[in-house]
Formats: sequence, structure tokens, C-alpha cells
Amino acid sequence: MKSTQNRPIILLLILLALVASAGVCSAARDAGSGYSYGDTAGKNDDCLACHGSRQQVSAAAFIDQTQFAHTTHARIGCPSCHGAVSPRHPDGARTPRADCRECHVDINAEYAKSIHADKTPCAGCHNPHKVETPKEISGQEINQMCSGCHEGFKMTAKHSEWLPQAELHLRMLPCITCHTGSKSYFISMYIVKGKDDSRYGKQEVASYQDLQKIAGNRSIVSLIDANGDNYISLAELRLFNSDPSHKKLRLQGMMTPETASHKFEILDNRRNCTFCHASGPGAMQTSFVALPEANGTFKRVAVEKGAVLGALYGTPDFYMMGSTKSPAFNIIGLAIICCGLIMPVCHGFLRFLTRKNRKGKEHQS
Amino acid sequence: MSERKRIYLQPIPVRIWHWSNAFGIITLILTGAQIRFPESITIFPSYKSAIQVHNVAGLIVAVSFTLWFFYYKMVRNTLDKLYIPTEEDLKHGLARQLAFYCFWYFLGKPSPYHATPDSKFNPMQKSAYLAVMFVLVPLVALTGILLMNVTPLRVLILMSGGIKIIDALHFLLACSLLAFLCTHVYLATLGKTPLAYIKPMVTGWEDEPEHEEESAEEATTPGYRPVRHYPEYSGLPQEKRP
Repeated sequence: MKSTQNRPIILLLILLALVASAGVCSAARDAGSGYSYGDTAGKNDDCLACHGSRQQVSAAAFIDQTQFAHTTHARIGCPSCHGAVSPRHPDGARTPRADCRECHVDINAEYAKSIHADKTPCAGCHNPHKVETPKEISGQEINQMCSGCHEGFKMTAKHSEWLPQAELHLRMLPCITCHTGSKSYFISMYIVKGKDDSRYGKQEVASYQDLQKIAGNRSIVSLIDANGDNYISLAELRLFNSDPSHKKLRLQGMMTPETASHKFEILDNRRNCTFCHASGPGAMQTSFVALPEANGTFKRVAVEKGAVLGALYGTPDFYMMGSTKSPAFNIIGLAIICCGLIMPVCHGFLRFLTRKNRKGKEHQS
Repeated sequence: MSERKRIYLQPIPVRIWHWSNAFGIITLILTGAQIRFPESITIFPSYKSAIQVHNVAGLIVAVSFTLWFFYYKMVRNTLDKLYIPTEEDLKHGLARQLAFYCFWYFLGKPSPYHATPDSKFNPMQKSAYLAVMFVLVPLVALTGILLMNVTPLRVLILMSGGIKIIDALHFLLACSLLAFLCTHVYLATLGKTPLAYIKPMVTGWEDEPEHEEESAEEATTPGYRPVRHYPEYSGLPQEKRP
């Protein structure tokens, strides 16, 4: 009897719960896609009024507003990490800083076991006001994080002890390709140009400004994605490479891990060259072209899947020995070798049939 | 019984060069095949060892080529004479030699050309060696040197059209060398005995053919007009043996 009396109350509670959850979902949608902390509006304005201006703060305290706005940290707001700032700030007192571990528990647990753990804190590699995932930056920028401690010349010498063409490998691969265990990799292509616009100068990642200058009124993406469908077909990729107006621009590719761990291992299987060089088109089907954006990050545009490495043969500077061989050249090479066999096979056959004509003469000699 | 002469055709430096080159090129082909097709060819235990052996063999062949060039050009001074076809070679010699390989050989006729120390190669050999030694080998060595030093020679690679152009050129030139090698080895067995042309490259000495009998035979064969080079070998080392 008692349960029958409570039924309307239970139904009412369920109804209220449904209404409340619908309201929460709606609020989450409004907050911005992919983020659970809402947008940045009004959260950081007080701080950035000074810290967003190079004139008002020192270089170390300056925060690039465009780059910061792109981060999740901007969405949680400055006070989340820098709580209890003195009311008299700036008074010379050190601003409190949150420990990254408070939020990044899993990463911290992983990092604590790595060989880097007692060498440097998170900020040694990451600028919390400019955090980006490997997908958002070029391999060269990833390596800049490492080169803060690992001096390039020493690293080349160290890797030269076992790695052929060590300098080339270190220049063309993000360190994390070999030093983090990722199950899958993608080819990250980006546009480079010679330093000071020299065709043969040191190759540097082309900046947003460089590419916008070339693109003119059009968007940078249209330099490669000719039909504007936000998808780069193999034909468009080849068109970009063969366009004479892009003489100073070149596409370079980097084999990049899809997910980067914080273990920073020395993986023995990476010492086996065939890990990369024999994986061939079957293993690396995915590629992207990373194009710089005004906010300092990169926009990834997917490239047509399929025999990616074969298709990338159209990019004159993306070459991975053993993996980027062109099927067309293989066929031509085979044809050349077959031509060399025509004489021995055909002549040898006739020689065998006519052996009696030479028999007596061979005995004479 | 007629006496048989033999001539000293291949001096020691040439033999050393030839066999080191042969060993080097075969090594380059095997390692090169593994480097190009690592999924399917595993002759050497690891990819890295294949690359290292390939690099060392490539350097040996490049140095050997340089020594060969200077030996013939500077020491013997016979490079041009040996390797550059004469007008006569181009006008008639090539056709005669081709006719021999494609026709007269099957009828049992001897080669229309006879090697001497100063004129070791028939017109077809001259043309083939000219292409191989003055075009193929230098180009394959140069592209190989570029591929071995991608970072230091980056500008040269960019000026040549990019690393893929260099790689494709290196691969296709190597295939051409392999094609030549097949023909070269086969033609080396076309002497009176299969080893007759190979023996001089081991011992240095080649048996001379017996002129008289062949001359009589030639006269009875319509259309067969071999041009022989039987110079006096005065001053050259030669032996007579029963």
C-alpha cells in the first residue's frame, strides 16, 4: 500500500531529473564543441589586459593571446591555475601556480616512470599557455621542445654511433616517432621553403604569412585543395608539386606517431631499420597536409587514402628508402633487366641448337 | 702439328681491377636489391648491414674505377685507343660483329675480331664499354655518392631535381648495369671453349687462334669477310708452346 502512495512522487522526481539533464546537455552544447569547460569569454580578460601586451609585461610574463585562446587552459581560466593572486599584484610576490599533476593524473603517472621524470618538470617541454598536440604542430616544432635540453650536435653524434645518416634522420623525423611507443603512424606533410626565399637555402616550415602572401585573396588551403572540398586528392597533391608558381615551396613529409606517450622510451625495435623502411604502403595509409593558421597552430587537411607512399612519390623531397619506391620505376627497371637477358637466353638457345657446327673447332683449340 | 702462340693480354693491374670491380658490382646488386625491396629480399641479416655493405662496396667500385681510369689514361696512355670506336668500327666493324654474333657464330665461324694488347676489344665491345665505363658507372657512382651524403650535399640534390630523381636515376642505372652484366658474362663464354675468354682475365695470357685453317675455311664461305688484326707482336711478351 505504501509503495502505491509513493508512486506519483517517484514519477515526479524522474520527470524533474529528465528536465534537468536536458538542460545540462543544452548548456554543454552552448559551451563549445569538444570542450567541457565552456568558452573563454570573460574568463581571462583581467589578466590578459596586462599579460597580453608586450609593452606592459616582461617577455617571460607575456602571453600570446591568439595561441593561448586555442588551448584548453584558456577555457578553464587563469585563476584555475593561478589562484589566490595577491590583491596588490603586481607587487613582486611570486604568483602561485598549479601543479600540472592536479589535472593530468594519468600522464603524470606515466611520466613519473620515464627517464625524464627527475630531469625536468612539465614546463621544461610544454608552455602551458601554448599547449598543442602532435597533430597540431609540425615535426620540426616537436623537435624544438627536445632540443631545449638535447643539443643537436651531440644528439647527431650519439645517434651516428648506430644510425646511418643520423643527421638526416634527426632532421626529418620527430624524436617521438622513435622514442614513444605508438601503435599507428601517419604521414604529416607540410610546406617548406628555402631560408630568405632562396630556392636552395635551408628548408624551413613556411609561415602563415609566407603562404598567405602567395595565396593572395584566396585561403591558404586553396594552394593545395584546389576544389575547396577540404580534402586533398592525389591529383591535387601532384598538381601542387608540378605547379611552376610553387617553385620555392616544397612538400616535406614526416612519419609521426598518432598518439604520443610520455614514457620517452629507448625502443629497441626502432633500431631495426625495417620498422620504418620496410613497412611500405600497406602500413602507412593515412596522411595529412598540415597548413599553418593565423593563430600559430596548424590545420590538418586529410589526403586521399590508399597507397599513400606511392602517391607521395609526386613529392620530390619525401623519400623513405625502401618504402617510397615507385611501382612505375620498378617496372621500368625490370624491363631493362629483361632486355639484358634477351641476348643470353635467345642466343644461348640457338647456340645449343647449332652446337654441332662448332664441335670440331672446339676440339681443335 | 702446328705450334700454338699465346699473348699476354691482361696485365696484373687490369686483372685486379676487373675482379675487384666484379666482386664489388655483384655485392652492390645483392645489397641494392635488399635495400630496394626489404619486404621480400633478406640476403643480409639486417637492413642496416645491407646498407653498410652497399656503401663500402660502392666506395670500392668508385675508387677502383678511378684507379682504372688513371692507369689506362696516365700509365698506359691507351684509354682512347682501347675504348673509343674508330670510324672504321662505326662504319663496318659494328655490323660485322653483329652479323657474327647473330649469324656466323651459329655456323661455326670464328670471330671476325682478334684481340691484341693494343686493341683488345671488338667494335661492339668498344661501344658497350664506352657507354658503361664513361656514362653508366660514373653516373651510378655520382648518384650513389649523393644518396650517401644527403645532408651535406643537399643543395646539389635540390639542384638535380630532388632526392627522388636521384634515387630513380640510381636505380635505373643500376638495372642497366645488371642488364649489361648478364650480356657481358654470356658473351665471355663465346670463345672456342666457354672459358677461353675468361682464362686471360685470370692468368693474363690468351691462346692465339690458328690462322691458316680458318683462312682456308673463310675463303669457301660466301659473304663471310672477317677483318682480322694480326699485327706483329714484336716487343710484346709471347710464348710458343707445342
